[in-house]
Amino acid sequence: MANLLWLQGGACSGNTMSFLNAEEPSACDLVTDFGINVLWHPSLGVELGDNLQKILRDCISGAIPLDIFVFEGTVVNAPNGTGQWNRFAARPMKEWVRELSDVAQYVVAIGDCATWGGIPATAPNPSDSQGLQFLKRNHGGALGKEFRSKAGLPVINIPGCPAHPDWITQIVVAVATGRGAEVALDDFQRPKTFFQSFTQTGCTRNMHFAYKVSATEFGQRKGCLYYDLGCRGPMTHSPCNRILWNRQSSKTRSGMPCLGCTEPEFPFFDLAPGTVFKTQTVMGVPKDLPLGVDKKGYIALTGAAKNAAPAWAEEDIFVV
Amino acid sequence: MVQMEQDALRKHLRTLLEEGLQTEVEPRAYTSEDINHLVHRLQSLRPDDYEGKLQIAGFQLDPYRPPGEVGGDIVQSCETCMYYVVHRQYCELPELAIPVEKDWSCRLWRI
Repeated sequence: MANLLWLQGGACSGNTMSFLNAEEPSACDLVTDFGINVLWHPSLGVELGDNLQKILRDCISGAIPLDIFVFEGTVVNAPNGTGQWNRFAARPMKEWVRELSDVAQYVVAIGDCATWGGIPATAPNPSDSQGLQFLKRNHGGALGKEFRSKAGLPVINIPGCPAHPDWITQIVVAVATGRGAEVALDDFQRPKTFFQSFTQTGCTRNMHFAYKVSATEFGQRKGCLYYDLGCRGPMTHSPCNRILWNRQSSKTRSGMPCLGCTEPEFPFFDLAPGTVFKTQTVMGVPKDLPLGVDKKGYIALTGAAKNAAPAWAEEDIFVV
Repeated sequence: MVQMEQDALRKHLRTLLEEGLQTEVEPRAYTSEDINHLVHRLQSLRPDDYEGKLQIAGFQLDPYRPPGEVGGDIVQSCETCMYYVVHRQYCELPELAIPVEKDWSCRLWRI
């Protein structure tokens, strides 16, 4: 039996909705098959008021062992560092977060807001929001760079806007079943099993990427979305084209550009007008090249690839 | 547009450029703001206003070489542009949508 507590800070509840749609394993499987006891969750918890506060206090005192503390949403510090803009159970949420993190075996941040601050922390960040251990790319966040949970791990970051439901439940199961030490994390504390590969890995448009055939409008059945429509698939670490959404598809498969929502800088360019769904260029060359590719190599490859492109690459290949 | 119509239109566009149609080759559209501005101008044209498209996009019959570009590794031509469809010799930027030749260039080039 592993006790799990889930709280929400500055959040839209998107990750909760995602979590409730998990399939492998499902949210119910967590309870019935993996022995996870959900102490409280904003959408599932039955306790209110004093009873809820007692659960939280008992976790902090140790009366209830807290095995997994899941946090969704940003840690809100406004105004003036007090956190009063996000009160929960009679005190600023940031105080609950600090004390619960200190007693939890594992702390798991779900979604961009809890990992790096996400959209609420976009400039000018009026709510003075932070992620649990990062603010965008800067290590630190609400708990500080040196934070380690009782099991000796930093916060396990599962980013995304929202995070894929199965990323959430699979990591929760891993730590609940004693395999937390096996969860290898990258530099941004993301589980490598999900975030080592790129969004582009498994994209059905990879042939168009290779032959430099561009999609120029949303929903086209041919063409790569990277060249013109701002797709961040070649620079973004996620398994969106390996672990499909709703077991069916992904953004890029359906003709929508990847927004790079598992990376700390999301949303990119602070959502300045003209920067969303448009590849940003300098002298016609993309500002953000596929990871590890330099400008000279990119230009040389493009010339060669376009020369070699077969005619079929210019036609719709996903016909109904 | 069928292939024969495209070929005829491409020939017509070439003739316009050869006969000295003045196009806005410079300043180049090197920032997002510049590009958006040009695209908005193109959107205001009728789809068959080909002269207007050539003028606003700054077409010329040769590749464009940015002044001072060391090594010449950025030669801007339709051939390397992301909007160019090689086998059809066609520019697929929705606001242009015209047949072109691989050695032409315009200031909306992107690689």
